[in-house]
Amino acid sequence: MTIVSQRRIACYASLFTLVFALVLASPVRAQNANADAVPQKEVAAKLAYCEVCHGVSAQGFNGYYPIPRLAGQQIAYIENELQGFVEHKRTNNIMFNVGHVLSPAMIRALATDFHDLNPKPLGGAPKDMASAGEKIFQQGLPDAGVPPCASCHGAEAKGNDQFPRLAGQLYPYLVSQLTNWASERGETNSNVMAPIAHNLTPPQVKAVAAYLSYLE
Amino acid sequence: MHAWRSATAVGLRAAFLAAVLTAAFAGSGRADDVQAKLGYCKDCHGPSAQGYRGYMPIPRLAGQQPQYLENQLRAFIEHRRTNNIMFNVAHALKPGMVAALAESFRKLNPPPIGGAPLGLIAAGKNIFENGVPDANVAACAACHGPEATGSGEIPRLAGQLYPYVIKELTGWGHERGQIPARADTSAIMSPVAHSLTKPQIEAVAAFVSELR
Repeated sequence: MTIVSQRRIACYASLFTLVFALVLASPVRAQNANADAVPQKEVAAKLAYCEVCHGVSAQGFNGYYPIPRLAGQQIAYIENELQGFVEHKRTNNIMFNVGHVLSPAMIRALATDFHDLNPKPLGGAPKDMASAGEKIFQQGLPDAGVPPCASCHGAEAKGNDQFPRLAGQLYPYLVSQLTNWASERGETNSNVMAPIAHNLTPPQVKAVAAYLSYLE
Repeated sequence: MHAWRSATAVGLRAAFLAAVLTAAFAGSGRADDVQAKLGYCKDCHGPSAQGYRGYMPIPRLAGQQPQYLENQLRAFIEHRRTNNIMFNVAHALKPGMVAALAESFRKLNPPPIGGAPLGLIAAGKNIFENGVPDANVAACAACHGPEATGSGEIPRLAGQLYPYVIKELTGWGHERGQIPARADTSAIMSPVAHSLTKPQIEAVAAFVSELR
């Protein structure tokens, strides 16, 4: 072989190595949920848009519908719910539209930002039911097949990974979710809640919701 | 002495009566006062408060959420929402009168005056129900309700005047929330109004203006 063609082979080899390395390092190929992959300005704009409905500091908002608090929410729970909306496992047209344009990285960035917010609860629930609600939350209703909520949601209702935070959640939102559980949520990982929601009577639902809505 | 005592008694009785009457009528609008004031509102806002396309578009008040009306009147008085005509109207109203007027408007239900370009309605419906997710525009229905009837402090949009909705969305930050240190609920709409394009505003305005 001549010297020229050896050089040419070496040149092609290094070019190939460079391209190969670039492809492996490409974030597109990785498809990860790395929150740093989204420009901060875009995340801030998207967060402001979420807060139009979900309230200042994502504390929730009593609009035509009760729009839930996202502040302090578990990151894994937010991610699961957004996925549920997009896949129509959880039925909500407005949240479907919101969710299906979000990249995994954007979802991770938003969920992290929401998790870090900590405004006071919106309040407004009837206070007289709260102590009955606390009892159900901590002890459950063994005769009715209702386990203590605290066993999965935590003693302070802050949640854990896929189990959502309930502390400070809006009273009318909690009531409507527990009352209509099966009609909105399908066969997602939240089907553990279906029999529980079903076994609670309306006064019990209101009591638990009132208690939770005041927790910080 | 006898004459003095009865003059005092008459005076006291008159003063007592005046006090009672003032107390009775200050807390609530007297029926004929409310009707008179309502007639005055209707001079501009239309015979059934359906709105009026005057030199400026004057909004429909019929069927409006009482809490929203009361908040706006307060905002006019405090100059958080700038409108000289409405400032003059509002600052003369006693609290009892405001509540009575708001309740009267709530009950009115004339058909929309219409007049918007009908070809825009389909696009407007899409934005109203689904928002514009790529542009960070929330679905109007999320807060205003699926039929744009509003709730509490969130206004009814159904049947609102086409040119009025355009004017409000286009100039949101120039009229409302004028005292940043005293931010009010009008701040919620700022990002939405800001993110909508002119064609999108016209489409949404056309859609809501035809709703009953």
